[in-house]
Amino acid sequence: MTKQLIPRQLPQLMPQLMPQEPTQLVPQESTSQAQIDLKPQASTPLNLMLGLLGGVALAVMIALNSELAKYGSPLLASWVAHGVGTLVALLLLGVVRLRQGGLTRCNEAAPWWAYLGGLPGAFTVVLGAMTVNSALGLSASIAFIMAGQILFGLVCDRLGSFGMARRRLSWGQGAALAVMALGALIALLAQEGA
Amino acid sequence: MLTLILLALLNGVCIGLCRILNGRLGQASDAYYASLWNHGVGFVFLSLLLVLMPSPPVAGLLDAPLYAWLGGVVGAVFVVLNTQVILRLGTTLCSLLVISGQLLSGVLFDLVVKAVNPLQLLGVVVIFAGVLAFRRMEAKSVERQEFKLEQRETKH
Repeated sequence: MTKQLIPRQLPQLMPQLMPQEPTQLVPQESTSQAQIDLKPQASTPLNLMLGLLGGVALAVMIALNSELAKYGSPLLASWVAHGVGTLVALLLLGVVRLRQGGLTRCNEAAPWWAYLGGLPGAFTVVLGAMTVNSALGLSASIAFIMAGQILFGLVCDRLGSFGMARRRLSWGQGAALAVMALGALIALLAQEGA
Repeated sequence: MLTLILLALLNGVCIGLCRILNGRLGQASDAYYASLWNHGVGFVFLSLLLVLMPSPPVAGLLDAPLYAWLGGVVGAVFVVLNTQVILRLGTTLCSLLVISGQLLSGVLFDLVVKAVNPLQLLGVVVIFAGVLAFRRMEAKSVERQEFKLEQRETKH
């Protein structure tokens, strides 16, 4: 396992992979000067806009899938979406790799579980169908789903789980995130109440 | 009811886990590679579920309008975007941005189709205030780190 973690050819790959390195990396235990990170800020307008754009894309995707689900079931619709998504992702990957000059490329070895992101992703369809059409209702379901995401995110950022960078939030940053969550809650309740 | 709430929370955890695993794969390779694996593995898993569980006939889907089939196209792009953002901004901020983007598009949609509830606009304003505040707070915490570093250097 430890051998897998040694980055191979990382210096060449990193710049194109991640133009901005994540900041706020917590120094490992000791606070020696060399280990304090003073990288450029990660929350650039571009990155923030990309995050919001992702949310817009997700909303469009859910709308399209719900339309398809009317002609079958949520499970069938998600199955089609994953099939189409696989083809499109293959196409995208091919184009990107060709532009980088070659279809094959040496990747840093990833742990086996990193390949399984599709499992929990597909499982959400099943869970979603169970709660949305129940006594809990749509808006409460969405609110708890969002809460689950945020709480899980807080824990993972804090611990640096699953090989992600450890990020310790300052009080100010935590307060700013709370303001965003409050805004999301207001928008959600207003939307459903309208 | 408690079971339902726990299921909904678990749903959120699954979404977060999905994005983190994609992020880890994206770290080793790139976001496009992660998107391919995410959709491929999901497709195989859902195929198994469809075989095991009773479901309406697939042929019914053929009656759906063409655009309804394009959810996967947007999905493939979404995973690419999300994988890049999660590596740069972390899971919490990434999730909040995606949620905000979703609600924002809801407001934009209502703006086109029907009248917008003023409360919805308030929500959007509060979200953006939070995003801007986060940028400020990050700048502050970097400044503080720099200040501490300078202090330590002058001591030695």
